[in-house]
Order: sequence, then C-alpha cells, then structure tokens
Amino acid sequence: MNQFQEIYANRHDYARAWKARTGGKVLGYIETYMPEELVYAAGALPVRLLARHAADDVTDRQMHGNCYATKDMLRQFIQGEYGYIDGLVHAEGCQWAFHCYQNIINNRPDFFNHYVFVPDYPDARTSKNALRSEMEVFKTHLEQWTGTEITLSAIDRAIDIYNQNRGLLRRLYELRKADFPVVRGSEAMEIMLACQVMDKAEANEKLEAFLEEAETRAPGEDAVRIMLIGSETWDAELEKLIESLGGNVVIDELDNGSSYFWNEVVWQKDRYMALARRYLERPHHPVKDNNWRRRPEHIFRLYEDWQADCAVIAKQIYCHPHGTDNYVVWKLLRERHIPYHFFERDTTLPKAETSTRIESLVSMVKPGVNRISGINKVGMFSSVIPSEPREATR
Amino acid sequence: MTKQLWETRPLEIWQRAKELRAQWEHSIEEKDKLVGQGQTYAGDWSACFPAIRVIEDNPVGAKMASDSDEFSRICRLAMESRGWGREICGYHLNCWGAQFLGHQRDGSGFPYRDFVVPFPDVCDQHAKRGQQPMDLSPIPRWQGDYPMYIGPRDAAREEALVDHRVYCLQKELNDIERVFDQKFDDGRYARLIRERSIQHGYMSEVLFLMANVPTPISVKDLYSFYTMGGLTKLAPEVVTDFFRALRDEIKWRADNQIAAVGNERYRWMEVHPPAWHYLRYYRYMEQYGAVCIGSPYTHAGGGAQVEQKPDGTWGSRETVEYPEDTPMLTREDVTRIALTPDARAPYHFKIDEYLRPQSLIEFARFYKCDGALLPIWRGGVGCDMWRKEQARRLKEAGVSVMHYEGSQPGDRTDLDEHGFLDRLDIWMESQGLEKLV
Repeated sequence: MNQFQEIYANRHDYARAWKARTGGKVLGYIETYMPEELVYAAGALPVRLLARHAADDVTDRQMHGNCYATKDMLRQFIQGEYGYIDGLVHAEGCQWAFHCYQNIINNRPDFFNHYVFVPDYPDARTSKNALRSEMEVFKTHLEQWTGTEITLSAIDRAIDIYNQNRGLLRRLYELRKADFPVVRGSEAMEIMLACQVMDKAEANEKLEAFLEEAETRAPGEDAVRIMLIGSETWDAELEKLIESLGGNVVIDELDNGSSYFWNEVVWQKDRYMALARRYLERPHHPVKDNNWRRRPEHIFRLYEDWQADCAVIAKQIYCHPHGTDNYVVWKLLRERHIPYHFFERDTTLPKAETSTRIESLVSMVKPGVNRISGINKVGMFSSVIPSEPREATR
Repeated sequence: MTKQLWETRPLEIWQRAKELRAQWEHSIEEKDKLVGQGQTYAGDWSACFPAIRVIEDNPVGAKMASDSDEFSRICRLAMESRGWGREICGYHLNCWGAQFLGHQRDGSGFPYRDFVVPFPDVCDQHAKRGQQPMDLSPIPRWQGDYPMYIGPRDAAREEALVDHRVYCLQKELNDIERVFDQKFDDGRYARLIRERSIQHGYMSEVLFLMANVPTPISVKDLYSFYTMGGLTKLAPEVVTDFFRALRDEIKWRADNQIAAVGNERYRWMEVHPPAWHYLRYYRYMEQYGAVCIGSPYTHAGGGAQVEQKPDGTWGSRETVEYPEDTPMLTREDVTRIALTPDARAPYHFKIDEYLRPQSLIEFARFYKCDGALLPIWRGGVGCDMWRKEQARRLKEAGVSVMHYEGSQPGDRTDLDEHGFLDRLDIWMESQGLEKLV
C-alpha cells in the first residue's frame, strides 16, 4: 500500500491530525467546482466529502430517493463521522449535492456554510463576470469565518501549489498512456481521491516522490485498456474489479478524475477572474455542457489519446446529470464503433453481477485488441526495458 | 345523503376559459410559425416576434402520459434504450421519446423544433431541457441561467448575477432576430411586462381568497386557469381581462360564501404537481367533503406567497421590484424590469424549499389546512426535497399528513392508482371522516 492509499483509507484521521498540527479549520465540499485555492489561501483545509457504503437508517426522511452517494454524505454527518469538519461549501454542480448541502446545514445550523453559484451556462460572455464576483464574495465570507485576511500573495501561493498539483496529476495520468502502464487505474484513482482530502503542498511532495519511483517500475501487465465514464466516484472498487478481470482503466472522464486537474489557473492580474476562468473552462460537467457541446468531443479525445480499447459507463442510480446526458455519449461511442458497457450502481458495487458484465466486455473486446510489442513501444514512458518482449494479445 | 353545508354553483368563467384554451390550441397548429422548445420565463416575449411560438415539453409530456399509457411507455422505452436514465422525469422521457420514434401517438410526424430556449431553473433537468432536440437536429439553442445562493438577499452580490441573467435573455432575443430574420417588437414587450404585473395582482387576489372558508375555488378548478398567459399563450390584454373577470367572480363567490365543494368540511394542501393523468382523486376526496386548497407550487406562480408579519398578522411577502415608473426606453431596460433586480426571483416553489423551509407550515396555517398530501416523486430533482422531514414538521404543527409515491407527475409507471385511493380512504377514516355520499 502506498502512502496515498493509506491516507485515503484513513482520511478522517488525516484531517484530525492536520487540525491538531496546524490549528486550522477544515472545510468540506461536495462538488469539484469548489474553488479550493481560496480556502487554502485562508489557511483552511478543503476536504472533499467521500461517500462509502454503510447501513443507512437516518437520512430517508430528508433525502428520500436521492442519489445514494449524497445520502451517505449526510449520514456521515448525522452519525458524527465528519465531526471534525467546521464548515461546508457547495459550488453549484448537481442538485442532489445541493440537497445534501442543504440538509447538512439544516442538521448543523451552527456550521459555517457558503453557496458558490457556478453558472450552468459557462460559455456565456457574462458567466466569467458572475463567477468572478462569486469568488470575491466567497473570499470575503472566508475571511470573516477564519478571521484571516486573504492576501494576494496567499492566493498566488495557493494557485501555484494547486497548479503544481494539477501538473503532477497530469504526469500521473500520462504514465497510463504507455502500452503497459506502470500505474494501474485503481492506484491512480486512490491517489486522486487522497489528493482531494489532503493538504496540497504535502500531496505534491508525496506525488513527486511517487512519480519518481513509478517511472522506474517495470512495465505493467498487458490488459484490455478501458476508459471510465460516468458519475463521480468515491472509491477505486470498480477499477480493482476491472483489473481482476484482465482489464485496466487507463483514462477516465470523471469529475473527480481527469476533470479535476485538466486545466490550470492561467495567471492574470485579476486573480478572481483567473480562478473563475479556470473553473468555467474545465471539462464540462454534464449539466453545464449545453449550447457548445464540448463534452462528447472531449471524451473522444481522451479515448484516442489514451488508446483505450473500450469504455465502461458507470452511472449512479438517480444521477440526473448523467441520466440526461448519456444518450449523447452512447451515440458518440456507437457512431465511432467504440465498444462500451453501461451499468448503474450506487455506493455498493455488486461484485458478482458487475464481474459477469465486465468479464463479458473484456472477453468480447480482447480478441480484437491490437498491440505492438516492440521493445521501444514498451519503454515509451519507462526507463526500464522489459527482459522479454511481450506477446501481442492477438 | 348528508345535507349540503354550503351553496355551490359552477364557475361562470368556465366557458370563456375553454374558448381561450381552444384559441391557443388552434394557434399552435399554425404552420407558418417557427416552433421553439422551452418556456418564455420573462413574460411571453415570443408574442413580440411576428411568427414564433414556444412550446414547453412539461405539459406535452404530461398530456402524453394522460392520453395514452401505452404510447408514453413506448416513448420512455425509446429513451431508456438510447441512454436516458429510467428515473429521469417523465416530461422529458415522454416528449423526447417521440422524437426518437419519429412520430406522435396519432401517427403524424414528430414536430421538430426550430430552436431551443430552456427554462432556467435550479433543477438540473430543467437546465437540460431541449438538449436532445439540439443534439439530434441542427438547430440553435440559447441557455439561460438561474443564479442561486443561500441566505438573505445580498444586493451587492447580485449585481453581476442580474447582469448575467439580463445578458442571457437579451442574447436570446437578439440572436432570434438575427438568425430567423424576425423583428422583435420592443414596444409590445414593454406593454406585455406592464400587463404581466397587473395579471399577477389579479391572480394573487384569487389565490389569497382561497383562505376563505368555504374556499370559492378548488385547486382542481384552478389548474384549468393558472396557465393562461404562461404556458397557454394569449395576447396580454386578453389575459389581463380574463384574470380580472376571474378575480371578480371569485371575490363575489367568497363574499357570498359560494363554495367550490358544497360539503367542504376538510381542507388539505399539497406540495408539488399532482399525477396529471390521475386528477380524479380530487373528485374522489370531495366524497369526504374534502377540498384541496393548492400548494406552494400553484400559489407561487401567481405571486401569492404569504408570511406572518412580526405583529402576528398575515400578509403577502415583499418582493424586490424596480419602481413602477422606471422608464423602459431600451431592450435592456425591459429585460431588466422583466427579470427584476432580484437575481433569485421568481421565488417559485423549488427555490422556496431551500430558502424558506417553514413555507409549508405558513401555507397550512394561512389557508387553514387540516391535512397535507405530500407526494414523493422519485423522478425529479427537487421534487422530493426533505419531504418526510416536512411531514414531521407539519405534524408537529397539527397538520395530518399522508404520502404517496410515484415516478413523477408525467410518468404513470409507479403510481398504484387503486392503492392510492385505498390509502386516501384510510387517511380520511383515521381522522374520523367517512364518505358523505
């Protein structure tokens, strides 16, 4: 288990230890549209709320029929698992997350809370002005809460650290472009998730070390290369299952995956505008992908660039953003003859059913997979040359 | 047979409403107009273009479910088999399923839209309205936005948000002019916005009169009128006349204790839209002398939102508007006034549930409701917001509550109709009420 896996597995302990060490406040958030840089500049620790599977007999009256992941976040608050969190921010993404946010603050009226309006129409000329204004309001609210003035240099430092993190995560993903990736999909996802609950400066140090080590690893297994598309995720169970069946998730189009780090803050004199543009210009969440329709082409580009063999679309039950946008992804994949498998899940992953389905997909795709096993290709992203050239799958 | 408690008589305005409705239905058959998908949320601006009409998929989808269970099921299946979520709201699934099939229930071709103007809303699914017609046919789409935040109004914060809304609406109007070569009548739009304010005044009077015992109009009747000037698009002056006449008649009925339901002895409220294909439960409840007063859904649209003032009296909630004499000299002036200086306006029922969690209790108290029938719709984001928690609060306030579950108001799949009526019987009997007839 690497350090990120440990932190991800013990994320509550990590945050408590961070608080004890720094005396700072921890701010929870649900959607990855939350401008973490401002929170970091205020000296607080932004922590993404992660769902998990647990028996739930406390949220039904407040979130009946909602997506299970957001229900579970509320459950964790009610049952005290998130007792160390001092406040909550909702940056507008999906409405289930909004419900979750609202219900948490109903249960915790003493909480610091803030809502960041993120336009659903990110391409409008005025969207950046609206979000820029929201950034400034958020900054003021954060200052009142923490009692700390958020200086320009603190924002710049936060932007630098976050941009560095994005660059490192991009390097991590680039490793997965190799024919025989040295980093498995599950490992990458656990690193992603750990980064979303960690102090980014610390995460960057650990990532640097991890990447140095990973780049010296022997090439990984030959596996069917899979692209993962769909609702946000909170664990790497699906990636592990896929790996156990001869597949490997080499790329994803998830809000908590590649979309989380895809673009950096481009420096400009008006820092709030720079931040606003970063969040508006990131790969679009399905709800925010409307008039200009950037999402399907972005998916295809990822698929091509990471040389995936097929796609898995995993939608959370009740996920309305993806439930109203999937048809265009299916259409794209069908038109371009890309094999895919669609299934629904909640915070659990039914192993037997999902195994059967993924196994079928892998078995279907594998005979048609074309691999070049020449030595130079194998070593594309690795300084280690494999001892024996690998057999092409077929 | 129990003796009737109140005098009742049919509404005289019925015939006029039917004629206006027929007039609108005839108008949407006109072939020489461009058809937009969406809703004209800042006044019916489509009336200010010479040849444009705008249709929303919500009523289309609801009507499809009501007209034919079989065809709407086929439509929903067509959607699910192409990637749409099975729990997505039935308005979408019915209406756009027919686009995949390429035909309507009567075999006629699917009426493709010429452009899309979705209704900005806090609801995700509203934000995605009309995405499919744009994706699957080469038509333009103009997205609006619904700024939202929690807490008291912050005018300084809203400046950029209001500008954003005004920009989105102006872009729609300017682009439609350019793309379709149709001149927008700004003068007419200004008149329309003034008329809208008068219409809202009449409508809110009608809705507040429902606090009378007996109520002069039930929500079942109200559903036939409340879309006039909104979804049922008519000339603004006609709509104003209609609402004035409606207000006059309802006021007369209230003054003279003319009841919507002659045996009114129990008043209940709701929250969200009902099962549109199964409105007969309102009549069924009349057998118990029970009348539905409406819901924040029906009343918010008419501007009848109440609050208890610090001195204990009830009154209309204050809204933020530009002064009445604000000049409307440019298109921007009119769009600003149409959208109001309040970025989160209008405070419709979904927004209210976030910003004013006590609004259901206020509604129950003001309208003297004995019970609340709260649907739990699974197919709509926001449609089941803390429904059981609200039930708990209502019960604490002395209001009896019953839930029923279904897919969504425009989807028949999961509503057990017989079971629903049985539960209504049990609910009424548990409160000591028996059928009067």
